[in-house]
Amino acid sequence: MVTDLLYNPGPNTIHGISRLRGGGKIESQREPVRSRRAREMEVLRLPLSASQKGRLISAGYTSIASLSSISPSQLALELKISETEVLEILKTASDGSRLESTGSSRTIVHGAQSAWDMLQEEETLVRITTSCADLDYILGGGISCKEVTEIGGVPGIGKTQLGIQLAVNVQIPSDYGGLGGKAVYIDTEGSFMVERALQIAEACSDDMVEYSCLYRKGSQACEVKRQPKDFLENIFYFRVCSYTEQIALINYLEKFITEHKDVKVVIIDSVTFHFRQDFDDMALRTRLLSGMALKLMKLARNFGVAVVLLNQVTTKYSDGSFHLALALGDSWSHASTNRIILHWNGNERYAYIDKSPSLRSASAPYSVTAKGIRNSASNNKRIKHT
Amino acid sequence: MGALKSLKEEYAIIDANFLQFCASHGIFSVEDFLVHDVYTLVASTEQLSNSYRLKQGINQLLSIIETCHQPWMNGLMLLEDRKQNKRCLSTGCESFDMLLRGGLHEGHVTELVGPSSSGKTQVCFQAASNVAMKLGSVVFIDSGNSFSPTRIQQIVAYISGSAENKINGILQQAMRNIDCHAVFDIYALLNVLHQLKLKLKSQTGYQVRLIIVDSISSLIAPILGGSNAQGHALMVSVGYLLKELADRHNIALVVTNHMVGGEGGTLKPALGESWKNVPHVRLQLSQDHARNIYAVQILRHPYMASGRNANFMIP
Repeated sequence: MVTDLLYNPGPNTIHGISRLRGGGKIESQREPVRSRRAREMEVLRLPLSASQKGRLISAGYTSIASLSSISPSQLALELKISETEVLEILKTASDGSRLESTGSSRTIVHGAQSAWDMLQEEETLVRITTSCADLDYILGGGISCKEVTEIGGVPGIGKTQLGIQLAVNVQIPSDYGGLGGKAVYIDTEGSFMVERALQIAEACSDDMVEYSCLYRKGSQACEVKRQPKDFLENIFYFRVCSYTEQIALINYLEKFITEHKDVKVVIIDSVTFHFRQDFDDMALRTRLLSGMALKLMKLARNFGVAVVLLNQVTTKYSDGSFHLALALGDSWSHASTNRIILHWNGNERYAYIDKSPSLRSASAPYSVTAKGIRNSASNNKRIKHT
Repeated sequence: MGALKSLKEEYAIIDANFLQFCASHGIFSVEDFLVHDVYTLVASTEQLSNSYRLKQGINQLLSIIETCHQPWMNGLMLLEDRKQNKRCLSTGCESFDMLLRGGLHEGHVTELVGPSSSGKTQVCFQAASNVAMKLGSVVFIDSGNSFSPTRIQQIVAYISGSAENKINGILQQAMRNIDCHAVFDIYALLNVLHQLKLKLKSQTGYQVRLIIVDSISSLIAPILGGSNAQGHALMVSVGYLLKELADRHNIALVVTNHMVGGEGGTLKPALGESWKNVPHVRLQLSQDHARNIYAVQILRHPYMASGRNANFMIP
């Protein structure tokens, strides 16, 4: 009840406060000073529902300290709400003052992590391979879990191929240096081809057999070949037909991943499609997109999943010439932690790291083969059809 | 200051009668009392039988309020405070420090603004590493999953310039000095800042030198605009909290902001006009992709000419 309003300070909230302020006389006196007072009211900063905040404020509880010493039953009486609801409010409020009792702990604020601890943690993190050694090399081993990676490029460059490849590769068991996870594939354009996924899965399972032949001859006998169909079973596919569905699904993902803890990658192909049409109100679009970006970041961080967003390109005019840029505009460009741009260079496909807080910008060639994404070799260079 | 009720035990004059009288005027807290017209309040006591006692109560409240404001300072004291408590933190990047005459100012909110991949996060990392190595604690509030301990490790190694085997001690100490918070909504940010404020107030021995919020705009963008006035109120409230922390506890604050297309297609800093006056210093970053050089320009500074710029490299 408290949490459903937590991340949604919808337009109704401000009316909620004024409605619950009680008599009209009081309201007319408070109205002009409300905006100025907003910064003095600590309870406004608590993630409570608008009506609860309204009740607290009109009963005079504006600071968190004022809530620390009060008994729940007394507060319930004053706010005219149930005692269970009061307990929830007090719990939320005490999160703010808890640190005083844990003053001896090393981190300053509850929930913080020192960079040193994070470094130790990061070193144990397994990355998802792209099946292309050159690409893995510039990515520092593959697609990073806990981060949002955006991949963009012109149509036909292999975005969806890379997406399917990652959905398969995330399932490589840890014995083989993989994650042994599952994948969520969100398809907005209808471009996911299950036949293609099967091909890639077959190639991946063949590679695994080859690997076990090479490196673990002793245990080869007891290895049971992983069936390509098992790979398909572990890809959770969602088809999304409008932007509202897309937002609803992303809101639901948190619950879905809580239930399916072994999901290690979420692929959205493409994040752009529904947002590039039917939008008159661009300010609304920016709000929706940035809200969605934060939710995806949160998902990546809290559950340690890799979020991969596939994006389309658009032309942008600057400095007197047109050049290609990723779609969805300037604000969206901050939504991802890493950004990889796929492009043609002559007849070869190249991936270029455009943005990353930890990796150098670099580019590497790759190719799309019958088996999936592989290293680019001069003998299997694909001819670009124009 | 909170509810009037909390004063009941300390001051005899503020009794149940007085509280009831205040409640009938919609006054429940000291803040309510402050914004209420005192003369109308006094006038309305006249009709009541215990008017003398109520007026005493009002006087008592007024005198309590008088003791609450911050003490005054004159210019000389302010200058002394500047010199003694508000130092400059080096960012670890020479030309950047030269441009800012020493680096990031304690007590100032410095905003780094620039388009995507213009080096904002890298400057933050560099400043955080440098301060953590040489001066003290850093709090890094990360809203973009961009905090990379591996990158910090590289930068610390670069700054110290020592050999691999010698660096381990420095590295561990520096990295333990950086605390990272992942926040993904504005309430979480407010909560962290509020906890920091309480912590700094209650623990005298503890000192944070630098707080970085990377990025502030991605937290505010989803709630700003439209018919939602509360989003605006939250933004202003974050701004004031940042300024208060910086000033009271002599902390250098760095926030990052992105850019949006303004009139005529030129880029301008996001978050609009009311955010504009929150940061003391506003620096615009840009990257020259061809030469791999970053540039910084002063857009706003309390005492330096805007428009000055410098180039710098990221190791």
